[in-house]
Amino acid sequence: MSFMQPSPVKYACSCGILNPINKLFFCRHCPKLRCGFCVCHEIESHFCSNCLENIPSSEARHKKNCCANCFDCPCCQHTLSARATTVAVVRKTEEAKEGESGAPEAAPSPKPSAMPTTKKMYYLSCLSCRWTTRDVGIPDQGVATGTWPDNECLYQVRFNTLMEYYQTVVLQEKQEKQEFLRRKAPKPHKFPSLTDRTGLTVSLIRRQIGWTDKSLPKPKPVNITSAEATADVEALPADIFTQPINLRNITTIAQRHSQPADQPTAVSKLYPQRRSLWIKRSLRCRQCEHNLIKPEYHPTSIKYRIQLFASAHVPEVVMVRCEQPLQPGQSNAILLKFTNPTMYDMTISVLDAPPQEVQINADAFQQACRIKEEAVTSSPLLKSSGVTLARQNSTREVKREVKEKANATIVPLESEFVLNQRDDSKEFDEDVQAPIEEPKFIVWRKGNKVLLRLQFTPSPELQTGNEVTLAFCMQYTYVNTVTNTQDKKEPTTHALYSRIFIHAGDIVN
Amino acid sequence: MPLYESVMQEKPPIVLDIGNAYTKLGFAAEAYPRLIIPTELVLTTTGETKQLFDYVETDQLYDQLVDFLQTIFFKHLLVSPKERKFVLVENIFGQTVIRETLARALFMHFDVSSVLFVPSHLTALSTLAVNTGLVVDIGYSETTVMPVFSGVQIMSAFKDHSFGSRAVHAEIKRQLLATGVKEALLTEPVLEDIKIRTCFVTSLERAQAKEPHEPPPSVAYAICDDDAVIQIPGTLRESVYELLFEQSNERDSLPHLVLRAILDCNRDVRRALIESIFVIGGGSMVQGLLARLKSELQLLLASDKYYADRFHGELQFKFYHSIGKQNFTAWLGGALCGATDLIQSRSLSKEAYLRHEHVPDWSNLCDNRLNGN
Repeated sequence: MSFMQPSPVKYACSCGILNPINKLFFCRHCPKLRCGFCVCHEIESHFCSNCLENIPSSEARHKKNCCANCFDCPCCQHTLSARATTVAVVRKTEEAKEGESGAPEAAPSPKPSAMPTTKKMYYLSCLSCRWTTRDVGIPDQGVATGTWPDNECLYQVRFNTLMEYYQTVVLQEKQEKQEFLRRKAPKPHKFPSLTDRTGLTVSLIRRQIGWTDKSLPKPKPVNITSAEATADVEALPADIFTQPINLRNITTIAQRHSQPADQPTAVSKLYPQRRSLWIKRSLRCRQCEHNLIKPEYHPTSIKYRIQLFASAHVPEVVMVRCEQPLQPGQSNAILLKFTNPTMYDMTISVLDAPPQEVQINADAFQQACRIKEEAVTSSPLLKSSGVTLARQNSTREVKREVKEKANATIVPLESEFVLNQRDDSKEFDEDVQAPIEEPKFIVWRKGNKVLLRLQFTPSPELQTGNEVTLAFCMQYTYVNTVTNTQDKKEPTTHALYSRIFIHAGDIVN
Repeated sequence: MPLYESVMQEKPPIVLDIGNAYTKLGFAAEAYPRLIIPTELVLTTTGETKQLFDYVETDQLYDQLVDFLQTIFFKHLLVSPKERKFVLVENIFGQTVIRETLARALFMHFDVSSVLFVPSHLTALSTLAVNTGLVVDIGYSETTVMPVFSGVQIMSAFKDHSFGSRAVHAEIKRQLLATGVKEALLTEPVLEDIKIRTCFVTSLERAQAKEPHEPPPSVAYAICDDDAVIQIPGTLRESVYELLFEQSNERDSLPHLVLRAILDCNRDVRRALIESIFVIGGGSMVQGLLARLKSELQLLLASDKYYADRFHGELQFKFYHSIGKQNFTAWLGGALCGATDLIQSRSLSKEAYLRHEHVPDWSNLCDNRLNGN
């Protein structure tokens, strides 16, 4: 299997996008192929990719998605590592104290503290570009992590003032609007109000009774000092025309953007940047809302709790070779290897068009889905509460037609064939399989693998250098061990099909 | 735990400013964007890097936008876009197809709860707490001038021109090729790096001097990918930005754009605009630009007959200084906007979008009729 090269065999996902099988997922509940485009991505957990510490999502949000302990080099974006140095500490004050207290004693013995002590100090250093925090004048810290100061945003105070100002302005506007609407359209009462006829207003009555006015306190007018425009602008420094510049002291655009708040132009203003977190992602089918991929929670684990990769459920097709050089209009044959990854035997047939009854089934399935959805959304309780308790199903993504066009006609296999189950122990068995009567197109068979020969004819209109694309429908039986209905417990067998496109190669002259 | 969080705490809206060269992304009520990333994506099929807005058909743009947004949400912002509110800072004269496709990607694919479109020029002024100003946005592909008075954009006086960072890059490339540098070395990142690290806007006296001055010192520039060292002449360093100030009969250099935009406004607002010029955009972060623009404007007022006839009295051009860096000023305005209650009242909600699958637009008569739908 070639991971580095794009695979010539592509499967059409149920959303109409072509993908190699290792990028596809298989929803067992639908049961359909899904790809990264048509599943719903969700964030499972945050972690730091350097220290592999798991960070809860609320904390991650609080820390602005940055790790508290790890830093990135502002120069080359590599991870910084803490280096320790020993510094001699002179304890003047302590010695003075000891001197006072020790004076009455007859023989002041040399105490260990009077010895020149050393202390460990830490600085951050980049092992890739040799940048250190000492370069930019950040003092060494006594603790390796946690005490590094953040570079603060210079205009944070002004920003907060602006934000408060606008929040009050908008709120005030809203209140005024509400007040206006209230006055304009008084609530129609069931019974004519007495006060309407007599001209007594509510506030007047309240005042007569001696209550205070109910009207809302007038919001305080908010003030902000707006920015002042000035006529004096920053002039060019006079020495720019004479002084040579040193490119080593000027930051690049990537360095500036990695520090978006101040974007320093001088290298001496660079500051260690907190390392941003990574996430673990879980994938969910948009149709049935079951998880397709759910990773294990712990960052150090690379395993999954739920993994429905297509390569574990759908027979894999590998193109082996074409028998003859590809010529337009000339009959040819291609050797394909089918592998069954499941624990059940599969019956496979290769067709040139999707089977009719399957299409109808799919429509019926969708119909059923729609009815179910309607039943959920039309429930009066949900309507009255105004929230949908069920997870919102986002099936709005429009299904698209498969863009790829085949330009060769295939000869469908005359009969279906059985692909044996995967059995890892069989790999070690002696090959004692009795020769059985095989259909003519099967070239070779071992365990769960079958090599077969499929005849095809590239379209006669093709020119030299054009790519030949084969398309066929693979219908296979799939034994589903999970069922949606409770009453049936034993596995059900589905006849599924996927459309497969193979880039067989270019026409040779 | 996640249910509890979503109920108890309002998730901060995501603020996006998708520019032609760089995308600014972050959350509302924060003082600076989380990240500034190039507006490009890596194609999953071929693995090559591609500009986001480089597309042939709408479906392709849609796929690219989905890919790009997916990277933003799951690689950079690390939040799920589902049921979130968005603030999108947009160019008011931007293409409808991009706006519509972006809305479709957000609502259909990512299932977001609401999107608030804010015009970039207007929102940039909000970072100053003023409501009148002449906003000059020097971006990557274009430079735009939009006068705003009392919080209203004067659309009829809008001016734009194609000089932006892209034109500057092309000029650097042209000059370097003329000195005999191999074209293969001069990729777009290299040109950009040369621009931001060595170039500046020269002063008016030097630009208009009859006999050339002593050029600033040349720089030896090492291209790290190719182990090549090229000489960047001093004349290049000071002259590439001249294309913003080029004199031509079209009268469309940057100072001309500013003055013409002011002249297209009502005469009552002209003085206010002259005294409140606000230059934003990544292209304006070069040294000496404001000083040059100011002296050019003053010179034109004094010497050009056309303007001298129309502007009277003692006029002094005044400039605002942005609180953050100029390249994310518009984003900052969006972040301020997203922090207020406007996000509740003015957003385009998912329900409203799904009713018509259409984004209301100021230029669309359908949305502007009194009883329009």
